[in-house]
Amino acid sequence: MHTSRVPRPRVRRFRLRNGLEVLLAPNPASPTASVWVWYRVGSKNEHPGITGGAHWLEHMLFQGTPKYAKGEIDRAILSVGGLLNAFTDLDYTAYFATVPREHLDVLIDIEADRMTRALLMPKEVDRERTVVLSEREGNENWPEFRVEEELYELAFRRHPYRWDALGYRTDIEHMGAEDLRGYYRRFYGTRNAVLVVSGGFDPRAVERDVHRQFSPLPAGGADPTVREVEPPARGERRSTLSGPGTTPLIAIAYRSPSIDERSAPATMLIDVLLGGETRIFSAGGRSRSGEHPGARLYRALVDPGLAVRATSEWRARVHPGLFTVYAQASAGVALDRVETAIDGVLDRLARKGPTDAELSEARTKVRRGAALAYEGATRAGYRLGYFASIMPPGFEDRLYRELLATRSSEIRDTARALFSKDQRAVVRYEVVGGLSVD
Amino acid sequence: MEYGNHDAGLRLLRQSPPAGAASASITYVGPAGYGFDPAGGEGIARMVARLVTCAAGPFGRVALARELDRAGATLTSQIAPESAEITIWGPAAGWESLLELLSHAVLRPRFDSEDIERVQRQLRESQLRELTQPAHRAERELFRTIFPLGHPYRETGWGSARSVGRIDRSRLARFHSEHYTAEGGVLVATIPAPLKRLERASARWRGPFARARAPSSLRPRPVPGHRLVREVEMAGRSQTEVHVGGPSIARNREEFPAAFLANEVLGGRPLLSRLFQNIRERAGLAYHASSDLEAMRLGGYWIAQAGTNPGSARRVAALLIGEVDRMGNELVRARELDQIRESAIGEMALSLETTPTAHELAVDLAYHDLPADYWLGWPSTLRALRPRSIREAAALALDGRRAATVLAGPLA
Repeated sequence: MHTSRVPRPRVRRFRLRNGLEVLLAPNPASPTASVWVWYRVGSKNEHPGITGGAHWLEHMLFQGTPKYAKGEIDRAILSVGGLLNAFTDLDYTAYFATVPREHLDVLIDIEADRMTRALLMPKEVDRERTVVLSEREGNENWPEFRVEEELYELAFRRHPYRWDALGYRTDIEHMGAEDLRGYYRRFYGTRNAVLVVSGGFDPRAVERDVHRQFSPLPAGGADPTVREVEPPARGERRSTLSGPGTTPLIAIAYRSPSIDERSAPATMLIDVLLGGETRIFSAGGRSRSGEHPGARLYRALVDPGLAVRATSEWRARVHPGLFTVYAQASAGVALDRVETAIDGVLDRLARKGPTDAELSEARTKVRRGAALAYEGATRAGYRLGYFASIMPPGFEDRLYRELLATRSSEIRDTARALFSKDQRAVVRYEVVGGLSVD
Repeated sequence: MEYGNHDAGLRLLRQSPPAGAASASITYVGPAGYGFDPAGGEGIARMVARLVTCAAGPFGRVALARELDRAGATLTSQIAPESAEITIWGPAAGWESLLELLSHAVLRPRFDSEDIERVQRQLRESQLRELTQPAHRAERELFRTIFPLGHPYRETGWGSARSVGRIDRSRLARFHSEHYTAEGGVLVATIPAPLKRLERASARWRGPFARARAPSSLRPRPVPGHRLVREVEMAGRSQTEVHVGGPSIARNREEFPAAFLANEVLGGRPLLSRLFQNIRERAGLAYHASSDLEAMRLGGYWIAQAGTNPGSARRVAALLIGEVDRMGNELVRARELDQIRESAIGEMALSLETTPTAHELAVDLAYHDLPADYWLGWPSTLRALRPRSIREAAALALDGRRAATVLAGPLA
């Protein structure tokens, strides 16, 4: 027997009058407390000219408010042994900090303050420009980043999923403080935010504190809904990159459903069947070095020596996104052979669906992945905020139930619709300047 | 945390999972690091560490993966110059099954031929990655510059296509039997059960494993004592990696706590450290700028590093070495020291948030044979340190005079 709910701490969920959504998940045994603020805006809310602005703004929210001068947010949290960070995605931007439980107050104060009062001083914005450029340059050193960036460029022509959250280099070079300020004023505000507090705290005291700190904020945050709809492609799109690296890479992306579409659970299970795990329900995020020897891509590509790694990835997104298959060829193996093998794997799944044994194993993975997903205040805060920022209450449990109830025929039919060659984008990366390791 | 007994010489350490945690972790650490790679067989330690998690005992590769999935567990390996760690993580209620699976991996790896061939292919790709990726290349060249031929920290353990190609099943089995031993090894368990039960359950860890003697210790050779700079031109990349580093002290040295704190001030403490503050926050020259101190049983090394635009690489190298020198030449101001110290102490609470993070503390403690109450005394140890002892430890353990600098990437 297994539960049809994801095991998680009890959550009190409410909304302030200004629209801020609040989730409190107390765990009296926890020595730590974690505060997360998720904004339902990300790089999808940029436009050409300000790409990378959401991410740059995320950096700037650590650079000072009238109350917390530059560096004081870091010092306030780190000096008590806390950790803090933030990240920007296509769909959302999240800020978090975890501290020993007795220091929780300061986190709520910081998040309320920087929701609307970040300084964004031109001098500091300019100084941070080289830091975000450096972050981008560091990523560009990896062929995998170049391939993924090219893949999204190729697959999307209208939708803002087209560019990476790091933005185009030329936009970063030309944007200024006013651009960041415009984005901040427009989108950052209570109506677009989810506040999560998890871990060791007194829920009544924290609820009072949340009201005291956040209720005075004006209702703000423009509707972040993206209206652009990516039109169907008129055939397969291909691109070849070349540069330094180890062995050739190939990435194939198919148009995929959004997280709330009916075929989302089957798409997630296709990810498990092909690549061995699915991001949302993987066992604690600690995989066996990314190796899933039972997965179909692994068996078809890595076992016979065509590739040194092969996997799939479906990132659940608010809008229709991409289901991607990646492979890195073994030394001396041509990408044509790798691509033919990938096509064979996808074709077989689309024709016959998974076996009963495979489906049972995939469900086991999902159940086990869910079992420990909420361990620790930080992870609990992440997970609660992630789901609350992209979907309505109860969504995680509904998704979980549907995952466990999806039939083989639904997976086959979804695979058939998903793996349409005229709707795919293919990027190859060829290595130049080959090296020998002897 | 409490130590236990295993009559074959394997040391045991047990602790309970943090309050509210539902997972357990168990780790075997053995004297099986890549510093033990034999001449001509470079890469063997990494191969064994990978292969023990692939197929073991009655389980072939796919069967083991299924068994782990059924248990909701993950099995991973990590390797360093002196040691290899094999860790299983999964639901706390099933810790005895986890221990059983771990025992198969550590004691009875299969070394099936198709797994050997696959791992050889993967290692060859990793060797290329080390040569073509600026961050990896900088680290490789740094170690080769700091440590002389034959030193166990000189190589990074990936070997060459030729050396990995020569490794066959019998060599793997021999390396395994000589290095995955009870003597010289530790078994650390973060489980919801008393020590007695762990002792009983681990009593089954016997056979050749228990009879083998630990390998004779690695003997690091002396390290040259002068500054060197190496530049590795790597065209076609966007960023240049700058690594500065040198030899350091062993973990059991009495100066370690002060050296630890000196490294935290230099670049080890995220966001607060001097490297982060000066290179990123003030100068805007890099996204990442940090330092690491790796203190092992026999010795150690330190690295200060940053990734930067090629046009800034030499300036960043000068800033890195300048901050290293400052640590050994000047006293840390009391306010700066207090802030870093309290941050390091406060972080202990965060380590008790999940089983994996709490488990890491226990593994570190057991491997270095520290007293069971070591972490309880850590805050007072750190608070007793004064600026003078920090400076002296920095001069010893983060010695800029014996540092090498490597720039890998496009060079302006």
